[in-house]
Amino acid sequence: MMVELAIKLGVCALVLGGVLNFAGMQTWLERKQSALMQDRIGANRAYFTIPWWLGGLPVNWILRKLGGLGILNAIADILKLLTKEDLIPEKGNRFLHTLAPLLSVFFALMAFCAIPIGPTVHLWGRDIPLQVANVNAGLLFVLALGSIGVYGVILAGMVSGNNLSTLGGLRASSQMISYEIALGISLIGAIIWYGTLDLQLMIERQGTYLLGGWLPHWGVVVQPLGCLIFMTAALAHTKRVPFDLPEAEPEIIGYFTEYSGMKFGLFFLTDFVEVVLVSALTTVLFFGGWQVPYLAPDGFYFPWGAFVPVSHLGYVIWGLVSFTVKVTAFIWFFMLIRWTLPRFRYDQLMHLGWKILFPLSLLNIAATSVIAVATR
Amino acid sequence: MPEPKYISLTVDGKTVTVPEGTTVLQACEKAQSPVPFYCYHPGLSIAGNCRICLVEIAGTPKLQIACYTRAAEGMVVNTTSDNTLNGRRDVLEFLLINHPLDCPVCDQAGECWLQDYYMQHGLYDPKFDEQKIKKPKAVPIGPTVMLDAERCILCSRCVRFTDEISKTGEFGIFNRGDHSEIGVHPGKTLDNKYSGNVVDICPVGALTDRDFRFKCRVWYLGSTNSVCPGCSRGCNTQIHYNRERDWRPHIANGERVMRLKPRYNPDVNQWWMCDEGRYGYHFIDENRLTQVQFRRNGAVQQKPWEEGLELIAGTLKQLRDAKALDQAGVILSSHMTNENLYASRKFFTTLGVKQLVFQRPKSGSSDTFLIQADKSPNARGAQALGIAEGAEALLDLAAKKALRVLFVFVQDLTELFGPSRVQEAARQLELLVFVGTNMNPTSQLAHVALPSAVYAEQDGTFTNFEGRVQRINAALTPWGEAKPEWQVFSELADKLNLGLAFADPQTIFTELAKTEKPFQGLSYQLISDQGALLKK
Amino acid sequence: MSTLSEQLLHRIRDAHKRREMTWWERTYLPAIAQGLWLTSRHFWRNLFLHIAHRVGLFRDVPAAVTIQYPDQQRQMAPRLRTRHRLTKRADGTPRCVACMMCETVCPARCIYIVAGEHPDPNVEKVPKSFDIDLGKCVYCGYCVEACPEDAIRMDTQRHDIAAYSRDGMWLDIKELLNPGSKQFGEPPEKFVQLPPPPSR
Repeated sequence: MMVELAIKLGVCALVLGGVLNFAGMQTWLERKQSALMQDRIGANRAYFTIPWWLGGLPVNWILRKLGGLGILNAIADILKLLTKEDLIPEKGNRFLHTLAPLLSVFFALMAFCAIPIGPTVHLWGRDIPLQVANVNAGLLFVLALGSIGVYGVILAGMVSGNNLSTLGGLRASSQMISYEIALGISLIGAIIWYGTLDLQLMIERQGTYLLGGWLPHWGVVVQPLGCLIFMTAALAHTKRVPFDLPEAEPEIIGYFTEYSGMKFGLFFLTDFVEVVLVSALTTVLFFGGWQVPYLAPDGFYFPWGAFVPVSHLGYVIWGLVSFTVKVTAFIWFFMLIRWTLPRFRYDQLMHLGWKILFPLSLLNIAATSVIAVATR
Repeated sequence: MPEPKYISLTVDGKTVTVPEGTTVLQACEKAQSPVPFYCYHPGLSIAGNCRICLVEIAGTPKLQIACYTRAAEGMVVNTTSDNTLNGRRDVLEFLLINHPLDCPVCDQAGECWLQDYYMQHGLYDPKFDEQKIKKPKAVPIGPTVMLDAERCILCSRCVRFTDEISKTGEFGIFNRGDHSEIGVHPGKTLDNKYSGNVVDICPVGALTDRDFRFKCRVWYLGSTNSVCPGCSRGCNTQIHYNRERDWRPHIANGERVMRLKPRYNPDVNQWWMCDEGRYGYHFIDENRLTQVQFRRNGAVQQKPWEEGLELIAGTLKQLRDAKALDQAGVILSSHMTNENLYASRKFFTTLGVKQLVFQRPKSGSSDTFLIQADKSPNARGAQALGIAEGAEALLDLAAKKALRVLFVFVQDLTELFGPSRVQEAARQLELLVFVGTNMNPTSQLAHVALPSAVYAEQDGTFTNFEGRVQRINAALTPWGEAKPEWQVFSELADKLNLGLAFADPQTIFTELAKTEKPFQGLSYQLISDQGALLKK
Repeated sequence: MSTLSEQLLHRIRDAHKRREMTWWERTYLPAIAQGLWLTSRHFWRNLFLHIAHRVGLFRDVPAAVTIQYPDQQRQMAPRLRTRHRLTKRADGTPRCVACMMCETVCPARCIYIVAGEHPDPNVEKVPKSFDIDLGKCVYCGYCVEACPEDAIRMDTQRHDIAAYSRDGMWLDIKELLNPGSKQFGEPPEKFVQLPPPPSR
């Protein structure tokens, strides 16, 4: 029993640590990536030295290099946010004002429970799934938590005692509703095709091949439209440019205007966690999750007939690395979109959500159903 | 006096009718075709040496100077013909030959007639290629005037002024031709009582005021019509104050009034004023009472108005309740305006105080021209309001403990009666109230000192020694917490439930004109800026 | 041949005449793809160059257009209006004659001149103190235009000014005569006076 618990805690730590590190590093990634895209240098100034009797020169040398890369800016950010004054507006509700960012970040992190980050490990005679909770309706669980997450945002807008924040919160809620629908419906195609809501199972079913073994049976191959709709809606879900109407820091004022210090930091963290979440979901649902093309549990079976054996541990590591690489690539991609496209106007946003993505996702269900019935 | 003969002439196509003997320049002015001039001054004899007032008169081959030519019947004058304008420009070119490019450092810049006419008639592309003649610069020729001979255009106005008006004759023009220069005669200094006027009449920057020197640029000045409070002549003046003090506090160390200038009034001072009055404005910004002061056993405390008024009203109430108002005395001042005198008289008589007098300051020197011996502006007004004169009796009463409360306005009594008598009186009094503008030995003896507004901060009227009622206008807002006296009485009356209230000087004057016989028929409109005489 | 800017202007003027977009264009997918292609091209190119610079390759191809401001100063045009200075006579006294032209013309009212007497009657007037409140200055350069003596110029090439209070951006006559000599203290000393010029 204790061993089971320890293993679960270990997996938890792995997932939580991975997610938070990803989210934290995104502050760096965002700065550096946008800088590179815009022919700038980006953050390169924050670093600190430690006294010689605590580590001395080599550590300081590394710190200086890291600072030059802008990585230590993340630490500087956190220090700043932690030491800033926590302001609660006079007309705000103290309890709810504090609760809102916590809710936000809590639900965003909870969603990772159901996401499998690698194949099941067989170790010391045990089967250890690399997934915190093996929920058999995992997809629903993730979507449900994603929808609840918006409560934090609406709450933040409502209890700030600021009309503009309230409007920001309302924009967030209407945007969430518009896009959750397209998000959910776009996935029904994938659910029909793979015939399951269990994410681990879905990944395993993507491990087969089409076209005589050449083409992996990934979601993006069989559900291209669903994939596109999902990615668009998911981007809207993260409330980032070009869908950042709820926040809109530069001009129209968003729901977290009245937040400062680490409470503001938590909203920011939520945003980054959600980017990781939708990247992970895209990977799981449409890009084979932790699957590596042509890699079966005992080795690589290349379509031209070659076979390279791989040990079980190697297989697990391949899976984890594959998952990480795919998630990173999607984070990079979402970041690329965020720094390329301008923000939508509100009516354009609603138009896109209700009049384009929603009908298209319905069309996707119809088409998928017909094809699924026809091919089986 | 025989009726003058009138003649009519044509100026720039306009027909004007003027009395015989009028000069062409005056006729042109009447026809609203002004002619530029430097040496001409209506208060001085005509010299005709600056030559800028050239006009074309039909029938004469050459241009004529307008200031010296008499107008004649049927004369046709042209002040705007090309010939006239060319003439003016050429004269200006000659005047400027030796004039240095001093405008940046010259105090006259901004009110300089050379600058003004150069803007209109200047030769913007000068032909002068020789060396300018060097002459003495920045020479203090007297306690009040600085001479810069290079800037002089030799109009001789100052020479004529000292010859004809002040009759002291310090100035002369020395050397010849290009080297002619203005100066004072050897061994003399320009220190007559009217020396400041030469600065006013100098059309250029040759004679500048040492008191005003480098203090403020003239374009920062605002101007308000007022009357000099220096003596009972009541010369008409303009108060020139720093209009931009809010954002240029560094000018003249934050002083507000920069200088006084005489204002033309044919019946009082014509164009002139004396130096005593001209430089006697410093009290406006110096050594002022800024707050209500309480003094008990030698310790001074700054208090808000409310407490000061409460204390005075309380004491007066006690006296009234004890039916002892005959133990209160009031010494008004001939420095107060008619309105303030009236308001105070009304307040104290309504209250029941009978011992109400006014006091003049120490009399000073006088002459036959402007300066009067009475050094206060409104003694005649106080008399006209029926207020008795002389504070001595009240001081004696106070010293004999027959008085409990004494009000003293503006005047410094120690200067008049000696410090010991005033100190003795102050010691015996229960309450000595000083209401005044500046700190002085009397204010320092008072148990309560209330700050009041100076004449430059008040609207009102003064009555000069001839009985001419003249307007003063507020150029400034009251210093610190100072208030006009009528406002103090209004607030005191409110505290004592006297049923009195004063709204502003104009309504006080309207009331005064109704109730006081000598002032009957007068109003601010009638007084205007030239004054009006009291009824005989 | 028209210039590029003229072409652009032309396109803006004729914007209302733009042709209808096709169905494919109206999905915006090609335009989005184009944009992503552009930005990602920059990203990969600059990433490559940054890494290459680290190992000493392609040093002459810049990976960024950034100027690292405090360490690296941009070459400024000589006509750029920068912090003021007062020019001097041969003997080191200010050329300024305290005529107050700049003080008068200044739209921000940030110049404060106190005039004094110069012992040489041919100079006559000299500023006792000359202060500029850079916290108010709008760098319009009117003071330079108005000056009849060429006594004030805005050519120090200094434009960095930072302080912890509004008063901290106060320049006195000593700093204006010798730009860069002042240790900015807070609160600053205002209306600092020069020693009176020696009489000749």
